[in-house]
Amino acid sequence: MKSKILTSFLAISLSLSLVACGGGSNNTDSSGTSTDASKSITKVEEGSEQNSDGEENSLTVWCWDPAFNIYSMDEAAKVYQQENPDFELNVIENSWDDIQTKLATAAVSGDLSTLPDIVLLNDNAIQKYVTTYPDLFESLENSGIDFANFGDSKCAYSVIDNNHYAVPFDNGAVIACYRTDILAEAGYTIEDFTDITWDEFIEKGKVVLEKTGKPMFSTQAGASDIILMMLQSAGASMFDENGNPNMVNNSVLYEVMENYESLVTNGILLEMSSWDQYIGSFTNSNVCSVINGCWIMASIQTAEDQSGKWAITNMPRLNNAENASNYSNNGGSSWAVLSSCKNKDLAYDFLGKTFAGSVEFYETILPKSGALATYLPAKDSDVYAQPHEFFSGESVFAKITEFAGKVPSNNTGVYYYEARDAIATAVTNVISGSDIDTELKAAEETVRFSMGQ
Amino acid sequence: MNKFERKMKYFVLTVASIISVFPLYWMAISATNKSADILAGKMIPGRFALENFRNLVNTYNIGKAMTNSIKYSVLMTLASLIICSLAGYGFEIYHDKVKDKVMSILLLALMVPFVAILIPLFQMMSKLELLNTSLGFMLPTISTPFLIMLFRQNTKAFPYEIVEAARIDGCSELKIFVKFFIPTMKSTFAAAIIITFMNAWNSYLWPKVIMQTDESITMPILVASLKDGYFTDYGMLMLAVLLCTMPTVLFFFFLQKQFAEGIAGSVK
Repeated sequence: MKSKILTSFLAISLSLSLVACGGGSNNTDSSGTSTDASKSITKVEEGSEQNSDGEENSLTVWCWDPAFNIYSMDEAAKVYQQENPDFELNVIENSWDDIQTKLATAAVSGDLSTLPDIVLLNDNAIQKYVTTYPDLFESLENSGIDFANFGDSKCAYSVIDNNHYAVPFDNGAVIACYRTDILAEAGYTIEDFTDITWDEFIEKGKVVLEKTGKPMFSTQAGASDIILMMLQSAGASMFDENGNPNMVNNSVLYEVMENYESLVTNGILLEMSSWDQYIGSFTNSNVCSVINGCWIMASIQTAEDQSGKWAITNMPRLNNAENASNYSNNGGSSWAVLSSCKNKDLAYDFLGKTFAGSVEFYETILPKSGALATYLPAKDSDVYAQPHEFFSGESVFAKITEFAGKVPSNNTGVYYYEARDAIATAVTNVISGSDIDTELKAAEETVRFSMGQ
Repeated sequence: MNKFERKMKYFVLTVASIISVFPLYWMAISATNKSADILAGKMIPGRFALENFRNLVNTYNIGKAMTNSIKYSVLMTLASLIICSLAGYGFEIYHDKVKDKVMSILLLALMVPFVAILIPLFQMMSKLELLNTSLGFMLPTISTPFLIMLFRQNTKAFPYEIVEAARIDGCSELKIFVKFFIPTMKSTFAAAIIITFMNAWNSYLWPKVIMQTDESITMPILVASLKDGYFTDYGMLMLAVLLCTMPTVLFFFFLQKQFAEGIAGSVK
């Protein structure tokens, strides 16, 4: 009997390992493989370009997240159907990784017939994809969509050569969420952390740590989100205006790295080894604040017992940087129309009357999904002004939409992801004892190598 | 072996087994807990299995994904077995001067990662108008060098005298294969079934590139999309992973004896 149990244990472990191996070997990110392939893209011949169903009054959309993007798209279709009852929308769920792989494969192979009409793109990737595969995307300059209704920094992600390529959707404005009960233990209120600098944040953080034993906030080790948020808060970028890496003599980046090092060495910033642990660090009350894109609110609210204990304000600003502000952005996505779209006018009209033109639509999607707009007229809506019980009864949505309008824009660059990874390595090495100058130099060389310079 | 050595051996084996099995235990337990409990490190069964299941069924078409995965995996396994067993048998039984060279070239294909042939394969399928079809999904993966090699190596243990005797008795070549080869090589077939089924079940990159509609979603693609939102429901995710793992685990349980024999046979 004993040997049977042992055999069963070993059998399960072996089969699990096989399952794991099988899954991993094929799971390759295509984003890195696609950069040089742009030259081989072939234009689709007129007449052969077609959306997946080819019907006159229907559109096909690729996006991810049923609770957020897919839900919003379905609601947009309902709003549009009020004026166009025959309109049909076919939303196909694809993860962001899948979308990248499929776009790259279709673009390189030259067969665009499998692509949808509209696709959701991560903001930080738009420059890369539009520049690498220019024939894949449709410029929205003559689409009739009014981009003045969106924040400049949000639009900047999808403007290439003065052409708009996507309709901004998902809001990634940075918020700083504080546990007011923990702050009170240290003798502070949320006002003490509003409109402050990082130096002030560190000083107050030391007091909080001393009195409560809790670090101020956490991040995922080896990720550069905090660095990039700080960088954008001063309108700075890892690239210069010509798209070349700008790290070595970048005084803002240097200050950001110094700040990060100081936060970690003072025990104010807790580095977690994985994303799941990062989420756990604040849902389990191990830290007293969260600084991230506003979409992190969904994760904060999973800790139902903490309702009413959280409050939201803006993030700290850099101490010395010239254009320092208390506002930044992390994440977010936008809708792009693909050149393979057969009903381009329909796609423009649909996006123009919903995502880029209907306050009513944004009012519908907000309560259920928490999908926050970057569409500025929505912030004056009554629904946005509703108090949010979890966040101390404040009207947080109007506040965040207002934050979004103040975010300084910066140059994302085509090689954003390569630079982001290089900076993440640099940060890890700095925390391990290396000096900032050496690491920034190494990071810049890595990015230049990726760019073939 | 003295008593101490025996105890040490069992101790090491037990520790190794616990380490290997722990993720499975954690996966099963987490499927019954809610997201916040999982993140808090709860290690005992909870009461949220039904709620997780309800969320999963309401948000995703898990029935369709499961049906598709089973359908594609079974069809691919059957097709692979027929083609690769015939090929492996042919390579060993029939004599030809260049067959070893052909086999070497075939084995070279093992070295080429799938991503390297992804684009040409996609173009090929596009020209054949097989994009977004079950045939297009299954065709490139039903004949694999590894499986042909497995069958060829095992055929070495199949007595050639049987083939000769059957030929004298007037059996056709196909009849020899069906009547004598298949019954003798059951364990090799069992090993091949498990390997092919698992590969087909876990197949991710190719189906996600070639299959375009929600109707053709498979389990691994569904599981991958569960972690893509701003908020991850870990209870639901773990339940989906559990459901995705079960068929291969069960399959392995039923065929584990033959699997071990088949693998041992190929390296004799």
